[in-house]
Amino acid sequence: MGSTIRLRTLGFMHVDAGALADFARGCAVLGSGGGGPADVTLPVAGQAIEECGPVPVVDPAALPADALVMPVGLVGSPAVAAERIGGRDEPARLRDRFEALHGAPVAAVMSSEIGGLNGCVAVAWAARLGLGLLDADSMGRAFPRMDQNVLELAGLRPGPAVLADEHGHTVVVDDVDGAHLEQFARAAVVAFGGRAASTDYPLTAGQAARHAVAGSVTRALALGRGEGPAPLLTGKVSSVRRYATEGADGEDATGVLLEGGGPDAGRLVLVEARSEFVAALEDGTPLAVVPDVIALVDVRTGWAVPVEEVRYGLRVHLVTLPSDPAWYTPEGLRLAGPAAFGLAGLAGTTGEHRAAGGSS
Amino acid sequence: MILGVDVGPTNTDAVLLDGDRAVRAVKVPSVAGDAVGSLAAAVRALPAEPRGRATQLAVGLRVAARAVRERHGLARVGVLRVGGAAADAVRPLFGWPEALRDAVCAGTANVRGGGGLAPRDTTPLDRDAVARFGASLAGRAEAFAVTAVFSPVDGGQEREAAEILRAETGPDTTVLLSSDVGTLDLLARENATVLDAALSVLVARVADELTATLPRLGLAPGAAVLVTRSDGTLMSLEYLRRQPGLSLGSGPACTIRGAGLLAGLPDAVVADIGERRARVGALTGGYPQEAGPGERIGGVPVSVRFPDLITVRADAHRELAEAADRMRPAAGLLPLILVGGGAGGVPADVLAGFDVVRPEHGGVAGAFGAAASPVGGQYDRIVRRGPGRRLDAVRDEVRDLARAGAVRAGADPRRVRTHAEPDLPVPYLPGAVLLRARAVGPPLPL
Repeated sequence: MGSTIRLRTLGFMHVDAGALADFARGCAVLGSGGGGPADVTLPVAGQAIEECGPVPVVDPAALPADALVMPVGLVGSPAVAAERIGGRDEPARLRDRFEALHGAPVAAVMSSEIGGLNGCVAVAWAARLGLGLLDADSMGRAFPRMDQNVLELAGLRPGPAVLADEHGHTVVVDDVDGAHLEQFARAAVVAFGGRAASTDYPLTAGQAARHAVAGSVTRALALGRGEGPAPLLTGKVSSVRRYATEGADGEDATGVLLEGGGPDAGRLVLVEARSEFVAALEDGTPLAVVPDVIALVDVRTGWAVPVEEVRYGLRVHLVTLPSDPAWYTPEGLRLAGPAAFGLAGLAGTTGEHRAAGGSS
Repeated sequence: MILGVDVGPTNTDAVLLDGDRAVRAVKVPSVAGDAVGSLAAAVRALPAEPRGRATQLAVGLRVAARAVRERHGLARVGVLRVGGAAADAVRPLFGWPEALRDAVCAGTANVRGGGGLAPRDTTPLDRDAVARFGASLAGRAEAFAVTAVFSPVDGGQEREAAEILRAETGPDTTVLLSSDVGTLDLLARENATVLDAALSVLVARVADELTATLPRLGLAPGAAVLVTRSDGTLMSLEYLRRQPGLSLGSGPACTIRGAGLLAGLPDAVVADIGERRARVGALTGGYPQEAGPGERIGGVPVSVRFPDLITVRADAHRELAEAADRMRPAAGLLPLILVGGGAGGVPADVLAGFDVVRPEHGGVAGAFGAAASPVGGQYDRIVRRGPGRRLDAVRDEVRDLARAGAVRAGADPRRVRTHAEPDLPVPYLPGAVLLRARAVGPPLPL
């Protein structure tokens, strides 16, 4: 059904060396302050494209509905990933194990998490495997947990999931639900020494077309070229407060106060963060709340700033984007809405913002 | 008395300190391309008395920064990575500006080996491959840079590789190790180590010239000579030969520190107003505030401790005010110290909202900072918390290693003071923590 037309429209679409920095910049915006610094994996994708050629960006609906898709990403610590940059044959080993489990060849790669450093991982591995990259992903942004993705919302099974590292150590996790996968993966990542490659929530192209976040790669490219929405505010970071949330298992949290400059002079916006930015409030009124994407883009560099690198005096644009509609359903909000980040008081405001903001 | 000298691109400044008081200051035009000649001219411009009472010469030569910028005088480096197929997703020197890579690279290799967070993650070093690489570059590489995966946690394989390279190429071959240079971030640490190696020949030549010139400068007999480094402290010429990259950024670092000392302020924003450009940094506890991640030198991402700087045009006063505001480490009003030749030309009204200080001798703040700084050392290490692990014992060890670093850099072991910096959590890696310590002390008297 129209697959040739779709192939033609996306047929000219590649992630090549020239577009890569834009793509990474866009991934940093979609990271909403989390997902690891996108510039850590940018050179990994750069060399993969240089050696193996540009990566075709593929519309999932243009593939046969039963074609096998391998979602990919790194799990663990970005600091360790910056040291263990990985090997060139790592994706092939992951694919071989994945194909053996499914008894079918992989037709395309998809990013598990477009936001942060994992966007470039998917580009690098698609290039190395000589496969197309779906113009889609499992989150549409970054989230801290592996099961916080729209495939989980669609009822897809997380397994069989494969975790592997650059030395060939491999763990297969099967017959688990999403929360249990996260538990297994966390334990395994410690044994992997802080970093592992993962493929989880295996799916077909048809399922990807129906359930995955559509247009993620083209969205990252457009954002990186500066084609995003106008900033809600431009100003400077006037204070940064780092603290632990209340309760026995208190999380690391950050409160950032933005002070408007120029046309925005006199405005004050509070941005709250956990691993990602989760809320932006002006005079107590939410401008954006998770699952909305909230990014602070450095005026000087054009790169969105990770939560842990925000500091006093940075000049930033506050940019927000609506997430995929699946995140605004009751199930989506339960899995990764305000309440999941200890902001239950703000529940219900996101839909309103979404109605006002429209879709991207 | 201590003599401080700052060899700038236009002028060379010299300051003679008695205690913390500047007794003489001079400014002479620099001799293009001759740092030691510029230094000698400035020193000789001071009267023989009290110059003859100077027992220590502390100098910011700025040769390393110029060499990288102008791609001049750089050594050809053999670049060895220890990580093998597990760490080849990005090759050595990937993303370097072509001209700089061509100027620096004698050859690269990536051999099997490397470590991890835990000892069980270690892969044995491919000693034969190291030997082959050394032999293939014997006579062609002027220095080697060795970078092993996870060497900041365990530097054993880098030292092992260095021994093999020296066995193949000669016992005097310069081999620099990444574990001496930076912390976790393989590519940035490797790049910084390669730059160090590339600077090693030039820096050794300048150190030789300086040593040869020293007896003719009319200082006190046996006067010690030290050079500035990018954290605002000093190091011996011997230490400079081993870690030339530590001198990158030392010019601004010394100016920031000197400005604070001249103004009597440990915490401030500092703007150094030159002829064409102004550089704005911050002073925290008497030392320059470090830049965050993502620092680049010559277009190359590097993991070096570099002062946090914003550079603007000297006449762009609105940008200067914005940069100064941005450098305030907290919203509370910090004073702004203006130094440099152009400090007098900045009108007060563009800096409304700042408590502006223009200290006496601000035109020679860099030389003053060199003269009034201690010898320094620092160390950091990532450790895992766990049952049976005594973090306090590791913390003591990190402090001892910082102290040892300061002593190696030329400090008097009896008078070194260490202090721990706050532990940093490692994101998304539960239980891991980065322990850091610094040490400072006066130089060892001769």
